[in-house]
Amino acid sequence: MTSNISDTSNISNTSGTLCAADITDAGFQRLLDRLSARASSDYYNPYTTFDWPPSLPADEFWFSPELLSVHGTQYAENLAPAQLRALSRWESVNFYSLNVHGIRELLIEVMRRVHTPGFETPSEFFHHFMGEENEHMWFFATFCLKYGGRIYPSKKLGPAAPAQDPRRENFLVFARILLFEQIVDHYNVHLAADDRLHPTIRQLNRIHHQDESRHIAFGARLVQLLWERLLAAGLDAEDRAAVSHYLADYLSASMASFYNPAAYRDTGISDGFALRGRLLNHPARRAAHERVLRKSTDFLTRIGIPLAL
Amino acid sequence: MHDTLKPIVDWLRERNPEFDEIPPDLDLIENRLVDSLGFMEFILLLEDVVGRELPVTELSVDQFRTLDTIEENFFGGERSW
Repeated sequence: MTSNISDTSNISNTSGTLCAADITDAGFQRLLDRLSARASSDYYNPYTTFDWPPSLPADEFWFSPELLSVHGTQYAENLAPAQLRALSRWESVNFYSLNVHGIRELLIEVMRRVHTPGFETPSEFFHHFMGEENEHMWFFATFCLKYGGRIYPSKKLGPAAPAQDPRRENFLVFARILLFEQIVDHYNVHLAADDRLHPTIRQLNRIHHQDESRHIAFGARLVQLLWERLLAAGLDAEDRAAVSHYLADYLSASMASFYNPAAYRDTGISDGFALRGRLLNHPARRAAHERVLRKSTDFLTRIGIPLAL
Repeated sequence: MHDTLKPIVDWLRERNPEFDEIPPDLDLIENRLVDSLGFMEFILLLEDVVGRELPVTELSVDQFRTLDTIEENFFGGERSW
């Protein structure tokens, strides 16, 4: 495998060693104050905000055709129009399912850190963050269950990894959260602006994007500070390369999760696993991934972590 | 060599070319033939080979730890490679 860094999302750290964040910073504090004030003033009740029609039209796209996993390939051309629309329904359910599972994972990690030593500075904003993420998880799950009848299960049971340096663990946790949010935001922006989609779908993505813009601003600054602290603690060239490889692998795995054999199967496409493999190696899809990931790779390059994807 | 586990062995070899052979009792996790980020890929492959969705959240990593345990848990224990 390509990296010596482990995903620690499945591990319970009982050693109390998450405290090495040391992220006091005047500029960060001002950003947090601004974001917390905006989170309060923009607060809405998600449980009364959305129109949830009993059903969504089955003969319309639920996901922009340009965002589908087959877009730009001969496999899209081989699908009948009705089948392409069916794929858009199941890939929208897959997208929101990925959000449900991603949010659960990030909530666990933030919950483990709020009001612990080293995280005094962002803890106030963590409350807004966790509250909003809980609500996002609710509306994404509601969409999946109401219109898809299921949440696609997570396949992320991972091998437990040994605890590592807490500075590195903190950095990787918040880097994963930020990268996940940036990927989702790319889709939210596109879906919110697509007037071919049902108003409920656009509303869901528009509101999520509004909240996530605060989370991404917060995450970008936090990740940069954690990276600077990690460098200051002493990180040799080999460690830096391992971080870079790990994040590149994380981005690749994240994009691969959009190619769900179960969604292909629900669409009526046979041998979805083989199709997934062909699509993941298709030049048009690789180019599409680069576009989705551009903000993330630019950000990482800017803070000194160039990736080889 | 029977083909039942062959796609899994091939997948592991492709990603870990330093392993010429993969002994059936080799710990795939401990030896990092499968890591956390590669695990989803591994599960999807296994689902394709066994022909059904696996209830991943109800499973333990130990069930995937070696080729022997994979065979025992997902192929009914009949050695076929």
